[in-house]
Amino acid sequence: MNPGDLRWGDAVIGILASALVIAAFVLAYFPAGEARVLVISQAGASPQHEPLDRHRVLEVNGPAGTTRIEIEPGRARCAESPGQRNICEASGWLQAHGDMAVSLPNRLTLQVLGSEPGFDSLHY
Amino acid sequence: MIHKAPTLIRPLILLLAVSLLAACGRDESDTEQLAFYAFGTLVDLTLHPPGVYDIETIEAAVQEELDVLHASWHAWEPGSLGRTNELLALQGEFSAPPSVLPLIERGRAMQDLSAGLFNPALGKLVAAWGFHQDEPRGPPPDAATLAELLDDPPGMQDIERSGVRLRGTHPDLQLDFGGLAKGLAVERILELLDELGVEAAIFNAGGDLMTLGRPQERAWRVRIRHPRGGTLGGIELEAGEALFTSGDYERGYEWDGEYIHHVIDPRSGRPSQGVASATILHRDPALADAAATTLMIAGPDAWPEYARKMGIEYALLVLDDRIEATAALAERVELNPDHDPLVVREQP
Repeated sequence: MNPGDLRWGDAVIGILASALVIAAFVLAYFPAGEARVLVISQAGASPQHEPLDRHRVLEVNGPAGTTRIEIEPGRARCAESPGQRNICEASGWLQAHGDMAVSLPNRLTLQVLGSEPGFDSLHY
Repeated sequence: MIHKAPTLIRPLILLLAVSLLAACGRDESDTEQLAFYAFGTLVDLTLHPPGVYDIETIEAAVQEELDVLHASWHAWEPGSLGRTNELLALQGEFSAPPSVLPLIERGRAMQDLSAGLFNPALGKLVAAWGFHQDEPRGPPPDAATLAELLDDPPGMQDIERSGVRLRGTHPDLQLDFGGLAKGLAVERILELLDELGVEAAIFNAGGDLMTLGRPQERAWRVRIRHPRGGTLGGIELEAGEALFTSGDYERGYEWDGEYIHHVIDPRSGRPSQGVASATILHRDPALADAAATTLMIAGPDAWPEYARKMGIEYALLVLDDRIEATAALAERVELNPDHDPLVVREQP
């Protein structure tokens, strides 16, 4: 092979492609236990995936009212939800892989996932 | 002029592409999920492997069966059980709806196994506490009402059966199969999934679940929620194992600053005390369901004795200040590190 056949553009593409692969591995093999995505499951609807990338507040409506969900980088919590015992809110910040909160009145579960193999089902 | 790609560039691009796919594919789930609403709670179905089943057919069949079971077995909505309760109260002989007979037979067996702590004939007592409505509410029964309900209370022996003919022999007899119906429903849905050709699945009805088969290369992984919020731990399940919990957090209401929950102790006529939740692992989901209620009622001291009576090897109870388990379940459950170690209780 004659190195002279490579143009500067080839080198740029090569570097970008390598960077993409490295970034993909870094994302996929994020340190075990750190949450990356919030899965919101509600009866009768497909699970909703929200990346834990920036601060924001979501509101999910259910049969008993509105569940307010706070998201921050690497964590999420059930900030306010219908239910007399505040069990959903008592779960606190969900930040380790698999942490979850449940709002039975609103028929929804919140679970954060990291890079470990996920759980198949939640027993409660 | 067209330059031919250098010979090393092509393999390099191929290698990068394969690496990218490997990285992206790492988090791909080997299951797919369906969600339903039935029995007043969340119901979900996890199927393995993904992409091979006729999801629409499965979804329609499961929803149809859940609707039938809900209509047949609901304790206070009009339906087969409601009609049966009306006819039992009349104390005359009648032909029972076929869907109710297995509940009655299993209910009778569970009452015997639990030495009367699990008593599905006490629907009137449960209703007196305000739990025969979608949103439970007070006021709780006063002392006189409770005393009346506890004076010669009915039991499953107060139903006479001859084939499909039934007759109630106690004026206060009212059936409520909360604590058993969900177990039987889970059993029924798993049979249906098996008939539909599903090889591996978890059917989860409001947190109580059972496995059908299992993925070839791994066990099922189930996370267990703590009754006071957060995660208690995790457990791996094999094919055909049911995990059922009865907990004070499931249904209840506040009254005069006191939390009134739905598990009523037939001895005191009041909500059970001392156990926040009882979790049972067993291959018979109906037994697991009834045993979870029974151990919660049995209380912190007596639960191992009732576990033995009912043939329960795997049990875990969250008490006010500690978590207790049988030796067999303590070996299988992986508790979250922020909880104190399990206290193992020997069965007498």
